[in-house]
Amino acid sequence: MENAIQLLVQGLLVGMSYAVLAAGLTLIFGVMKIINFAHASFAVLAMYFPTFWFLQWWGIDPFLSAAISLPLFFVFGFLIERLLISKILGRDTSETSTLIITMGLSLLIENLILIGWTGAPRIINQSYTLETWEFGEVLINHAQVYSMIGSVVLIAALYLFLNKTMFGKGIKAASDDPEGCAYMGVNLRLVYGVAFGLGIAVTAAGGCFMATYRPFDPFYGNGIVVILFVIVVLGGLGSITGAVVGGLIIGVIQQMSTLVIAVSLQNVAVFAIFLLCLFFRPQGIFGKKERAI
Amino acid sequence: MSAPGKRSRVDYIAILAVCFLTLVLSWLVGPDRYVQRLILLVVLWASMSSGFNLISGYGGQVVFGYMVFVGTGSYTTVLLFKAFKLSPWIGMWVGAVLAILIAFIIGLPTLRLRGHYFAVATIAFPLMAFPVLNHLGFEEVTIPFTGEGLSSFQFRDLRYYVLIAVVLLGIVLVLIKKIEGARLGFALNALKQNETAAEGMGIDTFRAKMIAFMVSAAIGAIGGVIYAFSLLYVLTTHAVFGLFIIVRILSITIVGGFGTLWGPVIAAAILVPVGEFLTAQFGARAPGIQDVVYGIALVLCMLYLPDGIWGRMLKALHKHGPADENQSIPAPALAGTPGDPASAVVAALRAEATASLSLRHASPEVVNNKENDPLLRIKNVSKYFGGVKAIDGLSVNVPFGKLVGIIGPNGAGKTTLFNVINGYMEPEKGKLLFDDVDTTSMKPNRLCKLGVGRTFQVPQIFRHMSVVENIMVGAFAKTRDADEAFAIAENVARQMGLSKRSTHLAAGLTMWEIKMVEISRALATKPQLLLLDEPMSGLNLEETDRIGAIIRAIADRGITIIVIEHVVQSLVKIADVMVALDHGQKVAEGTPQEVIEHPEVIEAYLGAKWRKRYAGR
Repeated sequence: MENAIQLLVQGLLVGMSYAVLAAGLTLIFGVMKIINFAHASFAVLAMYFPTFWFLQWWGIDPFLSAAISLPLFFVFGFLIERLLISKILGRDTSETSTLIITMGLSLLIENLILIGWTGAPRIINQSYTLETWEFGEVLINHAQVYSMIGSVVLIAALYLFLNKTMFGKGIKAASDDPEGCAYMGVNLRLVYGVAFGLGIAVTAAGGCFMATYRPFDPFYGNGIVVILFVIVVLGGLGSITGAVVGGLIIGVIQQMSTLVIAVSLQNVAVFAIFLLCLFFRPQGIFGKKERAI
Repeated sequence: MSAPGKRSRVDYIAILAVCFLTLVLSWLVGPDRYVQRLILLVVLWASMSSGFNLISGYGGQVVFGYMVFVGTGSYTTVLLFKAFKLSPWIGMWVGAVLAILIAFIIGLPTLRLRGHYFAVATIAFPLMAFPVLNHLGFEEVTIPFTGEGLSSFQFRDLRYYVLIAVVLLGIVLVLIKKIEGARLGFALNALKQNETAAEGMGIDTFRAKMIAFMVSAAIGAIGGVIYAFSLLYVLTTHAVFGLFIIVRILSITIVGGFGTLWGPVIAAAILVPVGEFLTAQFGARAPGIQDVVYGIALVLCMLYLPDGIWGRMLKALHKHGPADENQSIPAPALAGTPGDPASAVVAALRAEATASLSLRHASPEVVNNKENDPLLRIKNVSKYFGGVKAIDGLSVNVPFGKLVGIIGPNGAGKTTLFNVINGYMEPEKGKLLFDDVDTTSMKPNRLCKLGVGRTFQVPQIFRHMSVVENIMVGAFAKTRDADEAFAIAENVARQMGLSKRSTHLAAGLTMWEIKMVEISRALATKPQLLLLDEPMSGLNLEETDRIGAIIRAIADRGITIIVIEHVVQSLVKIADVMVALDHGQKVAEGTPQEVIEHPEVIEAYLGAKWRKRYAGR
């Protein structure tokens, strides 16, 4: 029983980290209707720089690095959108083209990290990374709790920005009806750049959080990008709330599945759920059904 | 593509030449392992990329999880070889069949998804296979060396493997070439550009995608077998299920040209040696250098060369092509009729009409004794969108051989009615009987084959196909034979006055020509019932009259037609029967004159005030 509770808590904590990464992915998809295959690679990049190296060089705490990474990666994402993505958005094959170009991007990020900073797995060592609270048999890691708090704050901020500010509303409107927005004076180019930058920034900060409790290597993103996609599909493409719920569900499934199957098979359970979802509810839990034509 | 046959023969000769020259080269350089390995890698990546290209390039469904087939083929064959001493020659077919089966299972849920959805969804499968195989203890499987020999598929001299791989490449290229010119190729090309229109033209898009997917899977599996036996001593899950496989294949296909025959071959011959050279030179210091090159190639290609190397060359060729071919194609329908081409179209259609009328009495397949019976019965049909009743308990009988005009203000449910008749939407209530067959929940492609043709309010042509290819897609609804489809398409194009433009890309046509292509494509499906959704919108007054005459001439040919239209006057001139809709309900039905004088129709169009004024007159 304790074991199950431990796994449930663990699942919720990990799930919240997934939720942050997935929120960025779903924001980009919702606004621009593209899948950013390099999404997790940006998070991995943030795990190295600033998180790992800032700690190594100047002893800067990873949670401070997360704050630093927000503006840094926002600009990075904005530039990537302006220089690469926007060039192919107008084509009639833009859906697959953007997928392919972002795959190229993820290859570049991963392998440049490999060449520059070697493929050795890295871990973050801070006082809180090893400390735990004990509740009976249930152990809770400090770093994971801090990460979860950071994640909640981040998602709340994103949610407020999208729903309460004028610019955020512009982004939401553009995701519903880009053409109409263009006529109403919304600068679509700016909206797309900002949406992509915002998605990347949130994800990068999420990566910084995750780095505090997970070892990582240059190719760590390969394993999670598909899980993020599963979360986004499960929650309904484009829905931030859906990403949070989907992230928590997938986190819990991943951890709890170890009760019945081997640890090495936990992602098999995740993908099995994904397939069931594709079969029976392809629009996701919170998604709306698309019209035929 | 012009007349099928001419260019294709060049391609077949080229395939033969490339394979032969590769073998000669391989044999001449001697058994040096480094060089032979390089040749082998080029040929294998070219083969597997070509297999991937079939579903992803030609069919537009990018399979990011393609390595699941490479892995399935190699693992099945190696394990069977190891456990049961089963010859890889047999094992590879077991692997291929298993790969096809897996493709079917993967395709069942995912091929119904939108393109990019599908791409990422498929990647989940190798990611599932990976941990499962590792868990079962197959992370590393040494391939036992049982002595050199043909039956054990083991040779010390790599040139034998080159020979086998070249044979595979040759077969794959010939197969793709065959598919390119056949019905399946047209279906894939059509559905890649516009799935909605493809369904309406009688293409079972799901089935076409599935067939291409399964063929692709088999090619990947067999490529994987050769790869494992020739170049790996130890088979690992990473080596055949790893992400790097799809990275190579995708880069090669994109750089060479998505959906082109020669693209993957050319790109493999460039990228593979470059990558191998860089790894050999800098691999120790910069282990990821090869993938950096592939990453840069992908990004640059998507930005500056989206058609790929070979795709770009084909486009350059095509630019010069049509001009010469133009002169060689005579336009018989237009000969002797100076002036208005549309009247020539009408004349051509009328001539056909008299012929087909006499034919109808002669040939048994078109004899219909129920000529006074309705061809289409719409029985109490309702279609809702949430709370909105787009169609509300509508019943209409469409008489055989008549031209029925449906009018109604915006939002009256006209296009929804077409979508319901045509199978794009299933009604919530009611029944549809076409030629006494219940078609209520039939898919558009089945309906097209039964004899329902359709044009769209916003024209849905295949922009990257020529005019004649567009029409051929329609013709394939009733024939499997490409030559016959070509003949039908040419014939329809001539009648519709499109001969001059038949080799032009549809993307560059005028609105009038686009409308003609859409009608031609629908006619090529040999419909009994033709649904025309606002054929006159976007045309000027004079063109409106012309298209009216053409529609009338088609109806005179014995084809039942339903036209939706805003422009009531033009419709009044040509329709036999008219139906007026408002708020999803029928407000009037009868001869055109009766309908336009019907008070409720006047109210629906002009408001209650006009109704009173009209009634008081």
